[in-house]
Amino acid sequence: MAQVVLKDLNKMYDDVHAVKDVNLNILDKEFVVLVGPSGCGKSTTLRMIAGLEEITSGEIQIGNRVVNDLPPKDRDIAMVFQNYALYPHMTVYDNMAFGLKMRKFPKAEIQKRVQDAAEILGIQELLKRKPRQLSGGQRQRVAVGRAIVRHPQVFLFDEPLSNLDAKLRVQMRVELKRLHDRLETTAIYVTHDQVEAMTLGDRVVVMKDGWIQQVGEPLELYGRPRNRFVAGFIGSPAMNFIETTVADGAGALWVECAGLRLRVPAERSARLAGKRRQAVVLGIRPEDLHPATAADHADLTCEAVVDVVEPLGSEILLDVKVGTCVIVVRVDPTVRLRQHDKIRLAFNPERIHFFDAKTEESLQ
Amino acid sequence: MVAGVLAYPVAWEVWTSLTDLSPQRGGPARFVGLRNYVELATNPVYRFWPAAAATLAFAGLTGVVKLALGLGLALLLQRPFRGRALVLLAVFLPWVYPSSVAVIGWYWTLNPPLVTSYSRLAADLKQAVDGAFGAGAWALASVGLFNVWRGAAFTGVFLLAGLQAVPADLFDYARLECPSPWRRFWFVTVPLLRPFLALAVFLSLTTGLADLANVWMLTGGRVVFPVLGTEAYWLGVQAGQLGPAAALSLMLVPPLALVLWALFRLVDPPEERPR
Repeated sequence: MAQVVLKDLNKMYDDVHAVKDVNLNILDKEFVVLVGPSGCGKSTTLRMIAGLEEITSGEIQIGNRVVNDLPPKDRDIAMVFQNYALYPHMTVYDNMAFGLKMRKFPKAEIQKRVQDAAEILGIQELLKRKPRQLSGGQRQRVAVGRAIVRHPQVFLFDEPLSNLDAKLRVQMRVELKRLHDRLETTAIYVTHDQVEAMTLGDRVVVMKDGWIQQVGEPLELYGRPRNRFVAGFIGSPAMNFIETTVADGAGALWVECAGLRLRVPAERSARLAGKRRQAVVLGIRPEDLHPATAADHADLTCEAVVDVVEPLGSEILLDVKVGTCVIVVRVDPTVRLRQHDKIRLAFNPERIHFFDAKTEESLQ
Repeated sequence: MVAGVLAYPVAWEVWTSLTDLSPQRGGPARFVGLRNYVELATNPVYRFWPAAAATLAFAGLTGVVKLALGLGLALLLQRPFRGRALVLLAVFLPWVYPSSVAVIGWYWTLNPPLVTSYSRLAADLKQAVDGAFGAGAWALASVGLFNVWRGAAFTGVFLLAGLQAVPADLFDYARLECPSPWRRFWFVTVPLLRPFLALAVFLSLTTGLADLANVWMLTGGRVVFPVLGTEAYWLGVQAGQLGPAAALSLMLVPPLALVLWALFRLVDPPEERPR
């Protein structure tokens, strides 16, 4: 059983505070993804769990054992690196067997484990090759196989798909998910790709500037982002943000800016009541906007001019101008619109988000 | 350009080694075939075998010490620590310091020009070494010391560049999997550094085998042990026997070529070449 617990974890590099008070409880068999932009501290956190970086303060437990002072080799973890870290002077078999050989496992056991892992990953025919004779995808499989043979308590993945092309990345993503379902081992996965995070993680940890911004299941992060950063980072295309001011009128609260005046849905009014005449940021995802129909309430629509049309096949992305803002709208591929067309845009009232303009915290 | 700079001098030397060219004899050079080579190998007057043995011992011993020290320095400097840049500068200094000035410094260190308590100590040390290992041992040791001083610095910086060319992930993975630093060094660091080690060994051997200038300058020409370089110099410049001198120099080429070939196989084994 391998629960991983991070308590008040900090990492300082001279004057740079790379990881700040990280607290995280990763459950046994859980697949947790650390996601965030470059420099957010996600890889540093992973490397501290692995023991490759010293901890400045805090505590790391793996399987109810504090590992702060344990060297990496004694933490019972296996790690897959971004550049695969395969030894060029060894064959695929020797690379996969390396950790077991170093730990002096019996030869027969090593052979069995390597064969089993090779079978799972479909790389039996590659065992005699050297890494330089493999494609990127094959190398990636070998790197994963090398981790599997160790039967570790925890798998650590440091952006393992970053070097693959887009198509292979999607394929390997599915394979990793399938593999985790099969092996049922605790996994911590670092990526900067929010799609990878959403598709792979049982839970996703969003980080920025060394801080954890939010921890939650993928759809929870998507639907109820805690702040503007999470709202903008999770989801592709990103959420639209419009700087507005809260105003009174006709017995309701309104948010308004140049070219836009929307009635605040009644269930959101309570949180915005204290923000009268103050700035708030309205957030709306591209799929929660659509060309208005007769069924849409006029108070939740605005005028817009189509600026760019991006047909993607399964959908069309429209860049539209609303007043001085440009926002993205995701529409059905059957919608026929051209540049400079004037449309009336409707907002899905249940999916409108509001964020404090100063703190950027959600006002849900 | 290559023909002018490299091929012509080599061809001239090969041709000279097959003649009896000598300014003392006068007249045109006569073709003598392989006689110079046979004479060098069979006539004890030429001191070829003692010189070859001393040269090999000198190059081999200094090579091993330079490699060990250089590797140690490279591994030390690979780790981040306060003042690392200064240590790196200090390590590299013997290599960048002008050879002629360094030789004079070492010469005076080993043979103090003024009578002081230190000169007494140096003399005692020389006597002790020569007494224990035979005449010329102190000279060989001092020349070796200088070669190591300069060469270890170069090897260290060269191998450090090699270590830094290896992706850090490979060493990180070793830290995760290897139970001891020794196994990590032996199973990961050494194989990954193999091309750099091979080149470092080759460069170290060539500077050892062909070291004439430093030996000559450090011993002031009073060579009490012959190496092939000094012997060739004696034969060619002092005795005017250019044919045997050229042959003697060229006898270094086959063993060096053999070493180069073996090291090249280490750097780029046939089974690892891209298909």
